Amino acid sequence: MLHEITLTINGESYPVIVKSHYTLSRVLREQLGLTGTKIGCENGECGACTVLLDGEPVNSCLVLAVEAEGHRIETVEGLSKGGQLHPLQKAFIEHNAVQCGFCTPGMLMTAKALLERNPHPTEEEVRFALVGNLCRCTGYLRIIDAVLEVAEKGGEA
Amino acid sequence: MTIQTPNPVGKSVPRVDAFEKVTGAAKYVDDMAFGPTLLYGKIVHSTRAHALIKKIDVSKALALPGVKAVVTGQDNPTRLGLYLKDRYIFAYDRVRYVGESVAGVVAVSEEIAEQAAKLIEIEYEDLPPVFDPYQGAQPGAPLIHPDLGKYEVVPFIFPEPGTNISEHFKLRKGKVSDAGVADEIWAQCAAIVEDTYTLPQIQHAPIETHVAVAQWNPDGQVTLWSASQSPFAQRDLVAQSLGIPHGNLRVISPYIGGGFGGKAGISIEANVVLMAKAVPGYPVKVRMTREEEFVATNVRQSLVARYKVGCDKDGNLLAMEVAYYFGGGAYNDYGVNIVRAAGYSCTGPYDVPNVKGDSYCVYTNHPIGSAMRGFGMPEIHWGLEQIMDRLARTIGMDPVDFKRQNCVRTGDIIATGMTMPQIDLVQCIDKVAKAINWGHKDPPSAPHKRRGKGLAIMWKAPAMPPNPGSSAIVRFNEDATLNVYVSGQEIGQGAFTIAAQIAAEALGIPFEWVRVSANPVDTKYSPYEWQTVASRLTWSMGNAVKAAAEHARQQILEIVAKYWNEDPKDLDIKNGVVISYESEREQPLKKMVVYGLPNENYEGWQGGPIIGTGKFMPTYVTGLDPETGQGTRAVVHYTVGAQAVELEVDTETGQIEIIKIASAYDVGKAINPDLVMTQIEGGAVHGLSSAFEGLRFDEQGRALNASFVDYKLATALDAPKEIHGDIVETPLEDGPWGARGVGEHVMVQTAPAIANALYDALGIRFNHLPLSAEKVYLALRNKEKPEKAR
Amino acid sequence: MRPFDYYKPTTYEEAFALLTRPNQVMMPLAGATDLIPMVRDERWQPDGVVDIKNLPGMRDLRVTPEGLYVGAAVRMAELVRSPLVNASPWNLLAQGAQAMGHEQVRHRATLGGNLCTASPAADTAPALLVLEALALIRGPQGERRLPMGEFFLGPRKTALQKGELLIGVLIPEPPAGSVGTYVKLSRRKAGDLAIVGVAALAFPQDGGYRWRLALGSVAPTPIRAPRAEEALAQGYDEATIAAAGELALESCSPIDDMRASAVYRCEMVKQITRRAIEMTVQKLAGA
Repeated sequence: MLHEITLTINGESYPVIVKSHYTLSRVLREQLGLTGTKIGCENGECGACTVLLDGEPVNSCLVLAVEAEGHRIETVEGLSKGGQLHPLQKAFIEHNAVQCGFCTPGMLMTAKALLERNPHPTEEEVRFALVGNLCRCTGYLRIIDAVLEVAEKGGEA
Repeated sequence: MTIQTPNPVGKSVPRVDAFEKVTGAAKYVDDMAFGPTLLYGKIVHSTRAHALIKKIDVSKALALPGVKAVVTGQDNPTRLGLYLKDRYIFAYDRVRYVGESVAGVVAVSEEIAEQAAKLIEIEYEDLPPVFDPYQGAQPGAPLIHPDLGKYEVVPFIFPEPGTNISEHFKLRKGKVSDAGVADEIWAQCAAIVEDTYTLPQIQHAPIETHVAVAQWNPDGQVTLWSASQSPFAQRDLVAQSLGIPHGNLRVISPYIGGGFGGKAGISIEANVVLMAKAVPGYPVKVRMTREEEFVATNVRQSLVARYKVGCDKDGNLLAMEVAYYFGGGAYNDYGVNIVRAAGYSCTGPYDVPNVKGDSYCVYTNHPIGSAMRGFGMPEIHWGLEQIMDRLARTIGMDPVDFKRQNCVRTGDIIATGMTMPQIDLVQCIDKVAKAINWGHKDPPSAPHKRRGKGLAIMWKAPAMPPNPGSSAIVRFNEDATLNVYVSGQEIGQGAFTIAAQIAAEALGIPFEWVRVSANPVDTKYSPYEWQTVASRLTWSMGNAVKAAAEHARQQILEIVAKYWNEDPKDLDIKNGVVISYESEREQPLKKMVVYGLPNENYEGWQGGPIIGTGKFMPTYVTGLDPETGQGTRAVVHYTVGAQAVELEVDTETGQIEIIKIASAYDVGKAINPDLVMTQIEGGAVHGLSSAFEGLRFDEQGRALNASFVDYKLATALDAPKEIHGDIVETPLEDGPWGARGVGEHVMVQTAPAIANALYDALGIRFNHLPLSAEKVYLALRNKEKPEKAR
Repeated sequence: MRPFDYYKPTTYEEAFALLTRPNQVMMPLAGATDLIPMVRDERWQPDGVVDIKNLPGMRDLRVTPEGLYVGAAVRMAELVRSPLVNASPWNLLAQGAQAMGHEQVRHRATLGGNLCTASPAADTAPALLVLEALALIRGPQGERRLPMGEFFLGPRKTALQKGELLIGVLIPEPPAGSVGTYVKLSRRKAGDLAIVGVAALAFPQDGGYRWRLALGSVAPTPIRAPRAEEALAQGYDEATIAAAGELALESCSPIDDMRASAVYRCEMVKQITRRAIEMTVQKLAGA
């Protein structure tokens, strides 16, 4: 079945025709060219596909594209505004919290949602929030430090 | 460019790829756009562990609308392989593991390809399987490769036709024979410990699965886009096995979302090229699902390892006998070299005068054991570092003192007869012992918990053929920014940043002026690099980049010297400006690096576009005697290191909490100290995770936990509270500024360090990976109320 | 993934008509966190999915005279963060929701979906059993209620008939002074399925305390442990708590699976039951 829908992504409207079973992750990447969101398992286990839906982190591989209509979608592409990096992006660079980079977009989106809901998380809370974002390269400590630093600075990097 | 960093070597400059990665702009293979003609491929995998293929019926699949082609092993019966050509691209007459590629379907959409894959009917005739490498090596075991004797093999690998042994490395040093270390030596030992340790297959689990796209044009030009640590090796293997001239096959590899060795060599790429050949002119994409990634790409070999070690009353190691039976999986084309490396490094980082080592690569009907971070070293150190601990305690010595006393030092004659190049393992041990506060035990955080500390040392040499080359090109732009061309791949380790630092330092320009033109690596334009493996890039690619930069530098100095009528020896380049120590004149690089400089009174011009080229290939690695493993120079060098773990066990549940990991590695020279630290941290967590990981199979050889639901990686909650890293710098004789690699070493000995800490906490030894709370709990219960052995 | 069609009914009648279509496999769609993996794995092969999240009342979360009404489409993350659920007396449900999966999954997974998938390891089930919740079912034939204990029939099997939907859960207010703890043991600290999950609830009665215990992942369905509960009514000294653990084990029939062996599970039933009881005792002391 085909659905003609409009997805609201990073504040922009994207009209698109999708099949019922297409996941949001596939539509973002293959129909809309927003390849910043990655696919790692398509089972909701690795978090590489994390986007924000109405400000909350979700696995876009577990959301049907057709379900996402009417919701506010945010992807990594929307983090920087007019060439200005989001404080989290700056912190990730400064802390060397990026290695192969494949988990990075998902990590950033989860972290953004965390700080918007809980501006001053403890280290434990940061770790707990990131459980659904697997990383094989960094060992996580730099990522946790980057998030805590942004929290400490009140969202300014 | 507001920041200018001259002399960046030794400085923690920012990564050159971080911006792209945090903005989501960095492109990986699956992000690349191939246009509306892109077709999708699905590989059909064997459902049997060991079986003859009686019949493959693809007619129903071909009849499905939208299916363009189906490829099977009959379409190309040549074998390929890096060191041993034992693999068919698609199974030819039989399958050897559950997951083997049996057919490839090409269709207009992934859904149709999936549907069509299910319509392929295959008739199998089961053969008896081999799952245990020790059993598989015994006479009379079912033969997995009856034609082993016919396979092309490199001169330094020794398969035993008529058996399942694809490589047998023999090490005989001192008073030993094939029967073992001489009795008279054992008689001198005041303590002897003997035991067997095992570990299962584990998988790299990079967050990006394997993806490849291939296009075979009617004119014979073939392009392969793959997430590859080895674009040139892939080109070579595919070209050879499919009869394509190297110059007609182009391999393009952009950023890689994690490699760890799994994307080295070759896995699905030749399959995709064959599938593309069936639909000339169309690009065909195959991407592995996570489930396929676990079993149908590459895994780390399993191991059954037997050790017997002895020392005198003063704790000096006298004798070692080891037998390593690696479960190489169904195809050992890459795995044989892992076994060889385990063979010549079989003693671990110890000075032992009498060694009998046998390292076997054994075919098993399991997924393909291939390169994984550590390349045989994590596997053998698991048992080695525990048995050394036990030997120390048997003689009444503190294990750290024992290791310090017996570890290799510069100048030692090591297992292969080679003289140990410059390293300082003692310093690594001391730093780590201090960082973990060895000898002191903090009280546990609750009455039912126990604390323990364990330490493990390691060594590893890059395990390569004797002649692996690197090359690099540097090219100036008009504004004096510099493009550096390399084919060393960025898999997250920071290779591109290192290349930029080295080029800048060697030329005398600020780090910020350098652009690394390697994204993607493209065999059509990029200069040759053997592979991004073996922790070799900083050293080997680094040397090539340095040479290329120095080549460019020399050209510039000669041009300016002529321009100034001075001696090039009195000139230098500092911060992008040519200066004369003699006359104190200055000449900025801008423009002259492309346009040259005019002669006096504009009577002509000299110079022109500056291009520097450089290469590096080690020239001194020698062969080893096949009967004794002895030779002048087995390997290029070793990197050594130590790691200590502090943990706490909840005795009520068996759960293990890793409190702190302390690491120290001798990297020769930290080109970028913070990047070394990020490897130390990432490696510690990878090592920690690997101690709890294991692929599980049923009696039919089918994987039971090929997904993240039941193959658990360490998460942000599992990373220890603290990872402490120390960098030791004993220069490598032929490393750029003394640098040697560290990317793999950082996770080699974490598992045995944990096991040693568990012994310290509980008095219990764990011989068999993976560890788990359940194993610890049940072992504790058995200890308190001993029952019959399980 | 095998293709399927998507429907979004606006009324229950529409939904029932879709769900009872002859010769078609139609499945309700809530958070999709079970559905999509199961379809990818080919264990579920729906021809169509019926999105029921927006049907009237599905997202309701409110206190009623009969207790807390939780619509079936209320998500785990909402249960975790809702002051209504978080504060006593229904806090145990928030604990169960918090233990499930990870952030991303909790923002999509629904209580209804968790219950209808009916994994014996479902993290919200033990809490609902000790809170003596009722499953609210609506179908073409009308509405009915079922105690939670009768809703689960076996691994991945519920009492729902074809065409019926779980529309919500009704949790009566537990007795005054109730405190509860959910303890989950898994291979990893979080983001993992339970090896053993124990929910303990205690409340003052007749000068002492009454207990309710439920266990997940140790039987074909989540279960209560009535004999252990009786034993605890006598008191909660160390010996009685240990005895309660043993009695809880008697209600269990754990199996070997990928996560743990039956032997270990049995041992852990005792340990985790003890911990759940002890932590609840501490809360009683604090109250």
